[in-house]
Amino acid sequence: MPDPSGFDPAQPPTTRIATTVNGRRVARTVPLHYRVIDFVREELKLTGNKEGCGAGECGTCSMFVDGTLIKSCLAPVQKIHGKTVETVDDLDADKGMTVIQRAFHKCGASQCGYCIPGMVMAATATLRKRPEASLDEIKEGLGGNICRCTGYQKILDAVAMARDVLNGARPQADLDEAATDSFIGSRTRRLDAPAKVTGAIKYAADLWMPNMLHMQVLRSPHPHARIQRLDVGEARAMPGVECVLTCDDVPGVDNFGVFIEDQPIMARGVVRYVGEGIAAVVAETADIAREAVKRIRVTYDILPGVFDPVEAMTESAPQLHGFAPGNLCKHTRIRKGDVDAGLRAADLVVQETYRTSALEHAYLEPEAGLAYLEPDGCVTVMSPSQNITHHRHMLARILGRPINKVRMIMSTVGGGFGGKEDMLYQGMLALAAIRTRRPVRYVFTREESIAASAKRHPFSIDYTMGLTRGGLIVATRMVMVSDGGAYAMSTPGVMNKSAILGPGPYAIPNVWVDAIGVYTNNTPSGAFRAFGAFQSEFATESHLDLCAERLGMDPAQLRRLNLMQDGATTHTRQQLDRVAATACLDAALAAARWDPGVPHREAHGEPARVDLGGPGTRAPCTLGLGTMATDKETT
Amino acid sequence: MLTFDRYVTAATLDEAFDALDASPGARLVAGATDLLPWAREGRAGDVHLPALVDVGAIPALTAVTAEDGRLRIGAATTIAACERHPLLLRDAGLLARCAVWFADDQIREQATLGGNLVNASPAGDMLPAMLAMNAQVVLARRDGAGTQERAMPLADFITGPGRTRLGANEILVRIDCDAVPGHGGAFEKVGHRRSLVISTVCLAVLARLAPAGGTLADVRIAIGAVGPVPERLGDAEAALRGQRPTPASIREAAELAADRVRSRSRQAYRREVLVNFVERGLVAALAQCGLAVQRLPKETVHA
Repeated sequence: MPDPSGFDPAQPPTTRIATTVNGRRVARTVPLHYRVIDFVREELKLTGNKEGCGAGECGTCSMFVDGTLIKSCLAPVQKIHGKTVETVDDLDADKGMTVIQRAFHKCGASQCGYCIPGMVMAATATLRKRPEASLDEIKEGLGGNICRCTGYQKILDAVAMARDVLNGARPQADLDEAATDSFIGSRTRRLDAPAKVTGAIKYAADLWMPNMLHMQVLRSPHPHARIQRLDVGEARAMPGVECVLTCDDVPGVDNFGVFIEDQPIMARGVVRYVGEGIAAVVAETADIAREAVKRIRVTYDILPGVFDPVEAMTESAPQLHGFAPGNLCKHTRIRKGDVDAGLRAADLVVQETYRTSALEHAYLEPEAGLAYLEPDGCVTVMSPSQNITHHRHMLARILGRPINKVRMIMSTVGGGFGGKEDMLYQGMLALAAIRTRRPVRYVFTREESIAASAKRHPFSIDYTMGLTRGGLIVATRMVMVSDGGAYAMSTPGVMNKSAILGPGPYAIPNVWVDAIGVYTNNTPSGAFRAFGAFQSEFATESHLDLCAERLGMDPAQLRRLNLMQDGATTHTRQQLDRVAATACLDAALAAARWDPGVPHREAHGEPARVDLGGPGTRAPCTLGLGTMATDKETT
Repeated sequence: MLTFDRYVTAATLDEAFDALDASPGARLVAGATDLLPWAREGRAGDVHLPALVDVGAIPALTAVTAEDGRLRIGAATTIAACERHPLLLRDAGLLARCAVWFADDQIREQATLGGNLVNASPAGDMLPAMLAMNAQVVLARRDGAGTQERAMPLADFITGPGRTRLGANEILVRIDCDAVPGHGGAFEKVGHRRSLVISTVCLAVLARLAPAGGTLADVRIAIGAVGPVPERLGDAEAALRGQRPTPASIREAAELAADRVRSRSRQAYRREVLVNFVERGLVAALAQCGLAVQRLPKETVHA
């Protein structure tokens, strides 16, 4: 195997790279192992293009080299020696936005904005190569770029609009904001879009301050272990290392959480999941910090772990936290009417178990932050935190300083979806800035982001529903057990929401819901779009389809029969004056051209449904490009 | 992270050999599109090498020529070149059919044919296509007497997942393969999404009809991603060769592929897809030759 020890990050071998970037000739001496993205972002401080994955998967780093679009995270810096590079930063050549950028602005194609520099580059490459590109060809041209916010439709709209304007098929004026008397129902341009489509806006990883240090974190390789010994001596002694932080350096109350205060900012004696932070190294370069992390010696006493929430509730299971017997994190109950009596009276009782998996948010912007001390001693943390006020309060207690000496600045969030609501690294950064009295930056790799950050809660849902022959729901029992992972984070809130919204917008006289969140040694679960409702409503809607099958009834009709109406009371006794659910369902059915009828109608000897396929239905993978065009007639 | 003591951009093959000799343990690099992701957490982790020797800019390695019915394709020819090089489009249209499914159009500009072959991934998309074209790899090494070349069939070159017969200080310089201007070709691939996806099943088909009579003068079927190494379907080819293709004979030949699935996962799914791919690929390749063959109807599924 290659020897990983031959690299001295304090004195990395260097290379001289002479190149032309955005029309300007530059010659710089940079570390030999730099990639093109490092040269552009770290050396030239052109931060328009991002690094979203470092593995060529996401396209945020797409830039032109000698006119050809490439993934700059996949190219050693030597590949641009003597060549010409174009980044998004100066794509408009100081003439204002390009037509493509203006179309992105007009179409609302930038949401979080993190993928947009790459998308604009890919759109530019596609239209340079094929000015008349069809929609399929545009999709193909953007195939190497991932967006997590928009669902791509607005981006595709923007590229098609730009193509038409560039070809003269549409007037330039179409790129301007439409005059309107009302913002409702009209396409309103986002105020931050120009900064996003040009790459001018700064995300946390784009921030840079003079005298700035870099942080890297040692993370646990074990799901459950006692830290017997933590020796940071060798790491601390490395040239270029400013400080090494562990839980011993935390001055205040090292216990935080959104709902339950159960988490230290770095492991305190015990690690409870793979990826939990143990120590933070702050050094002159990120490479030095990475090397120093490897030199931290930890002796672990491996503890038995528990990875299944049901097993975690048994008596013999390992206990994660002293204050939570049975590893119970949160149990939310809803009791309405008499479910047993309701089920006994029902004509039909349908039982099923539903499972959902953990999900990674995969926002295009990996976590990053920059912390520094103000002259008055106020510690400031800039990070894409989705909950800065709460983080500020927690941090003040952790740091043991008054709230007016802690400041949180929310940097532009490159996608969060709930995943940036829980505090993960801001504490370490603040501590590092206080300790070193220098600015400190910490940028996660994609791998680190996936390993350390919270996931969507996996659920197991036992469902029992009783109905009349006519399709009225008379009783619902949902028993949901969810894996909350090693720390509570948003688990209590997610349990509440999954219980409150789980039975759905249906008028049901008898309801029983248990939502049980359990500690395990898995990666913590946290906030994720819909906050628990996704899982429980997935079960409810799947279950209604099953019931429709058993009743021999149109699934839409079954829902229409049971939907709450104006004046309804929810299962948690909230009075609703207006309920738009039926109108909403009817509109969705009309849009989908729903053909009413029982499920599996052909098997019942009835005519096949007619609403499958048809206009507006998305075709499977299409091949748009060049040589394949002739195939269209033959296959 | 990948670190190294030297990076040599070789202008000639000799410079590349010089660099290899000077830094034992050096690694060759061309497109680098798999090398940098390889040296990350979850794969090889941090890797330090004595040197990277970049052979991507050696003119001899990017040349494409035709000679006596064989194509000679420089190993550093990019995947993107397969989509636009006039000679390749004329004589090796199958490579373009494969290329449009390969990674994405940005990576295709960097990634090379030779790189895909020496990587020897069981799911390497170019491998079935090159097998169908009867590819031979040409390996060069330098000794006292100068530069020596040896050639071997691609099927012999790849010995297992990620394993080849490439020797130490040996460079894959060229791929020689049949020119197939008169063949119909088809490439099929499925993965979790359209772009940037590792194949779950991939397949390449070449077919040529006899000038008269409508029989199959030549048929070649190669599969990938369903076992440790890509391979040709000799039995299916033999069953079809010399015969007049019919919907039934195509279905029958396709079903021979089912027992080739030796993957570690999703075997039932892959079997079903593979059989359908062989059938669809043959029908598409024959259509390129001007012969329309209908597929036998599929089982109906009640919705």
